Amino acid sequence: MKTDDPSVRWIDEPKLGLTGKMYLPAIIQGLAVTTKHLFGPKMTVSFPEQRPEIGNPLIYRGVHRLNKDEQGRVKCVACFLCATACPAHCIDIIAAPSPWPDRDKYCESFTIDELRCIFCGMCEEACPVDAVELTSMFDLTGRSREEMIFDKEKLLSVYDQTKDAEPMKSRVMGASP
Amino acid sequence: MGTVIVDGIEVTVGDNERLNGIQAAERAGIDVPHYCWHPGLSVVASCRMCLVEQGTKDPTTGKITMIPKVVPACQTPAKDGTVFVTNSDKVKQCRAQVEEALLIDHPIDCPICDKAGECRLQDYYFEHGQQERRADLKPFHSPKRDMGDTVTLFVDRCVMCTRCVRFTREITGTSELMVTHRGSHEEIDVFPGYPLANKMSGNVVDLCPVGALGDKDFMYSQRVWFMKSHPGVCTGCSTGCNIDVEENQDRVYRLTPRENMHVNQWWMCDEGRYGYHHVHAEDRVVGPRRFEGGKHVNVEWTTVTAELKQKLTAAGRLGAVLSPHLTVEEAYLLIKFIRGIDPAAVLALGPVPVVGTDERFPNGFTIHAEKAPNRRGIEILLAHFGGKILSFADFQKELDAKTIRAAWVSGGYKKSDWNDETTARKFAGLDLLVVQDMFASPLWNAATYQLPGGSFAERDGSYVNFQDRLQAVKSAVRPPVGAWVEGQLYWRLLERPGLFQSRKALVEAATEVPALHLAIEGIPATGLDLNVNKLAEAKTVAATV
Amino acid sequence: MLAISIEALIKIALLMGGLMTGAAYFVLLERWIAAWVQDRKGPNRVGVPLTKIKLFGLGQPLADGLKFIFKEEHTPRHVDKILFTLAPISILAAALAIYAVIPFGSVLPKDGIPGVSHQIELIVAPGIDVGMIYIFALSSIAVYGVILGGWASNSKYSLLGGLRSSAQLIAYELPMGLAIVGVVLMTGSLRLEDVIGMQAASGIWTAFSQPLGFVIFVVASFAEAARLPFDLPEAEQELVGGYHTEYAGMRLIVYLIAEFLHMITASFLIAILFLGGWHFWGITGSSTTEVTWFQAIARIVVLNIKIFGIIVFFMMIRWSWPRFRFDQLMSLAWKVMLPLGLVNLVAVACLVEYQPALESKLGAVGITASMWGIALVAWIAAGIFAPLHSDNTARKDSFVLEAESRNRGLRTTAPGQAT
Repeated sequence: MKTDDPSVRWIDEPKLGLTGKMYLPAIIQGLAVTTKHLFGPKMTVSFPEQRPEIGNPLIYRGVHRLNKDEQGRVKCVACFLCATACPAHCIDIIAAPSPWPDRDKYCESFTIDELRCIFCGMCEEACPVDAVELTSMFDLTGRSREEMIFDKEKLLSVYDQTKDAEPMKSRVMGASP
Repeated sequence: MGTVIVDGIEVTVGDNERLNGIQAAERAGIDVPHYCWHPGLSVVASCRMCLVEQGTKDPTTGKITMIPKVVPACQTPAKDGTVFVTNSDKVKQCRAQVEEALLIDHPIDCPICDKAGECRLQDYYFEHGQQERRADLKPFHSPKRDMGDTVTLFVDRCVMCTRCVRFTREITGTSELMVTHRGSHEEIDVFPGYPLANKMSGNVVDLCPVGALGDKDFMYSQRVWFMKSHPGVCTGCSTGCNIDVEENQDRVYRLTPRENMHVNQWWMCDEGRYGYHHVHAEDRVVGPRRFEGGKHVNVEWTTVTAELKQKLTAAGRLGAVLSPHLTVEEAYLLIKFIRGIDPAAVLALGPVPVVGTDERFPNGFTIHAEKAPNRRGIEILLAHFGGKILSFADFQKELDAKTIRAAWVSGGYKKSDWNDETTARKFAGLDLLVVQDMFASPLWNAATYQLPGGSFAERDGSYVNFQDRLQAVKSAVRPPVGAWVEGQLYWRLLERPGLFQSRKALVEAATEVPALHLAIEGIPATGLDLNVNKLAEAKTVAATV
Repeated sequence: MLAISIEALIKIALLMGGLMTGAAYFVLLERWIAAWVQDRKGPNRVGVPLTKIKLFGLGQPLADGLKFIFKEEHTPRHVDKILFTLAPISILAAALAIYAVIPFGSVLPKDGIPGVSHQIELIVAPGIDVGMIYIFALSSIAVYGVILGGWASNSKYSLLGGLRSSAQLIAYELPMGLAIVGVVLMTGSLRLEDVIGMQAASGIWTAFSQPLGFVIFVVASFAEAARLPFDLPEAEQELVGGYHTEYAGMRLIVYLIAEFLHMITASFLIAILFLGGWHFWGITGSSTTEVTWFQAIARIVVLNIKIFGIIVFFMMIRWSWPRFRFDQLMSLAWKVMLPLGLVNLVAVACLVEYQPALESKLGAVGITASMWGIALVAWIAAGIFAPLHSDNTARKDSFVLEAESRNRGLRTTAPGQAT
């Protein structure tokens, strides 16, 4: 862009008054602010001893879980929409005809690479059957990369762990089950 | 010559052309939505999606008179003076209503439907449908029914276009599919005890504009929007059907026919359609190996390329067997390489598998008994370089004479049954035997050098089909780690720079071989008829298809 | 002779130990203050090794030091190997050698230590008459360390950092020198002990009698120590890490220690030259020879408290002020600090020359008041002149100016001024 481009708007520096030009008042002002904060309340959460408060678990984006239906079967119908929506390409699904008479397709394998995931929640948005949800569990750790690739069993176990504290969002939000 | 007006655009129609409204509009660059009409099938005008306004222009006064009703464009011939209007409010309203009617009966199970992404119903809903629904959702599930070994019917998804029914009646002539019941109870079905079992059954899945007919081979394996499609040629038989190889991340998921009116029209046979599984077979050989000290040991490709030329030079009289699965370019490069070492090397055509007899369908589509894509191409090259065309049996006789000291055998067959122990014994007396193939066979086990080769999906080049039509293919996937496609190996052996370039090789071959001269300018998408000059002279009928 | 050597060695050991530990803990303090100012808690985890005792994170410097020691001391392939190694050594050596002439207390009582006949002065090299010149000489050598590091790294960021640093240090040495000359004129000696003695004897710290010199010296100290708002040599946002971009491991920590030592040196000098050194009214006494044990220890404590306070001030300023732009930095040095320094020098010179006459006319209070008056007037004058306020409009490329001059007849307003 050229400097004389008409779309460039030039903004002049604000003119300093005499106190501004004297500098010392400004320095004292700055010091007053920092000093106030020096003794002010601290925002840090001392993590392992102190758990952070998660305001609204419905909109928190932590570890994923795979929801189960009333009969304890995985809700996922393997439509790949989460994998399509995923900007990090961290979801890998293998689909198969379902063993149940009332369902056509289910996921034989469903893996999420939690290290690749950017926790944007697009998978949750995309899911037409509310099978993938992000929980408010945030402190996931592992000792190897393989451990952080969550397979179907692990994702379902996250559901078992969190289902009491966090019911399925679709129902909480008032949608039909 | 006639002039048809579509939305104010004038389209010229030839005297001998019989176009309908959809085709005339296509010439004007206008897409008329349709489900039931297909250029290869008869017209039934049952879906009513192609409704347009039609009128006539009076040739003397130039006045246009419109018919008050809307008519199906597929059934309306485009004559001189016919006027079509495809974008009026009336037409748009008709389309929206047809779309609504279809969707009332349609389960919204797009997430689990394999057609989603290439579904006409989806596309037209977005383009021509109305936004609000005035009916309740159908359950998220469609009952399904087996039509045969290859196709499943999802009953509720059907829009009753009857394309599949017409296909079995008009193209294959087997008439397995039919419409049962009447009115809104209509369903596609087969006669009890007579499943859909013809050799082109897979085409009904491609024909189905919605997800009602599902391919069992492809079912649930991949979503269509993930796949990249690469133009190719089927290598199942010498017909050389034009296909699209659809892959995702170097894995082929399905083959679909590509329209080529000179070869396969819109169709392909099941044998070709499902004959890609060997590409990802578990037992495919990878990693070159050399026979030394009584067993085969792994070697590096760099070592192989470095020592092959030297060993072949030292061996004396050479022989090369050119598989009919090689492309023209690859065969040419192999001949160049072998003849570059031994100018009098014996060249022969590899075994050409023949299974049964040619099968011809009522519409002319033929499945050939010759199960190799490029016999004619190899023959053209052999005729130029070798004079006489030696068959594999002739080559084995030559071996008995013990003059040939080293042989190069190229494979690329879909199965390992193209040679047996007897063949292998014939080659046993050689000092050096190089075999490049995809699967271990007796001959492979007898080889001094075992070189893993490429499959059809990995090759770049061109094939000559049974009617001497040269058709180009592009590689769709990369070969598995450890395998080199033949073209790449020959390119390296000839010490050409960089990666294998099929275009360069073809131009070289076309310059040298008179029968291929036409290919210097490149190969069009529908192929290049190498007989075009001869045909003009002989005035013979073109293809048998 | 042996006794003197042993005495000097003990002092050096004390000083070195104190300084190194001090530097390490000032890093922790810096991190704490940074955290507190930003409403965080700061490092509070590392305590006694191998236990769960946290001790407010006091083990952090040890952990940091260990980390640096065990880090790979990577030397990039493209550097000048000899200079690359020499640079941090020279800067640390210079920074430490300065402490030979800096008193870290006053004196110990006579016969305080059994077996020592003379009075022990708490300074490594007592009685050096050119103390301040020595300080100046060595602090200039620090520039070598920086510019050598920048040059030897063979990296554009390092070189730019080194260049900036040299320009900055040279520029600010002038006002700093002028401020010191004022103190020297008043004291009549270049020995730091004498400066403290003079302030203690009169009871008036130089900061009171020469406010202008004090401010100039403090500002120049910030610049010499390359602390914010003058940390351009290592401006992270622009230069990655400045002159030590390519350094790692022990060489890097040597640089970092040297930087902290510069800050501690500056604090020592501010405290000694302008804030009375070890003197505090009513506690420490004022005699430089006759002291009690209580006074001797109180003097050390007072000096250290002053230094600690100044360092905290340094750190607070870091989080209160943004960095100067380089042209502003230079303007400040040459257009503000240098004239003000000259004003201060002339005022002090006049004061010293006509001291008896002025004292009889104005009295001690009057003299101090007039010095404050001069400082205020000079400061306001500099403020009104405001050389730091620069034209911020982007420079136009020459071809744009050419085109404009060609089209002058066609255009009524220049695009830059259109509102």
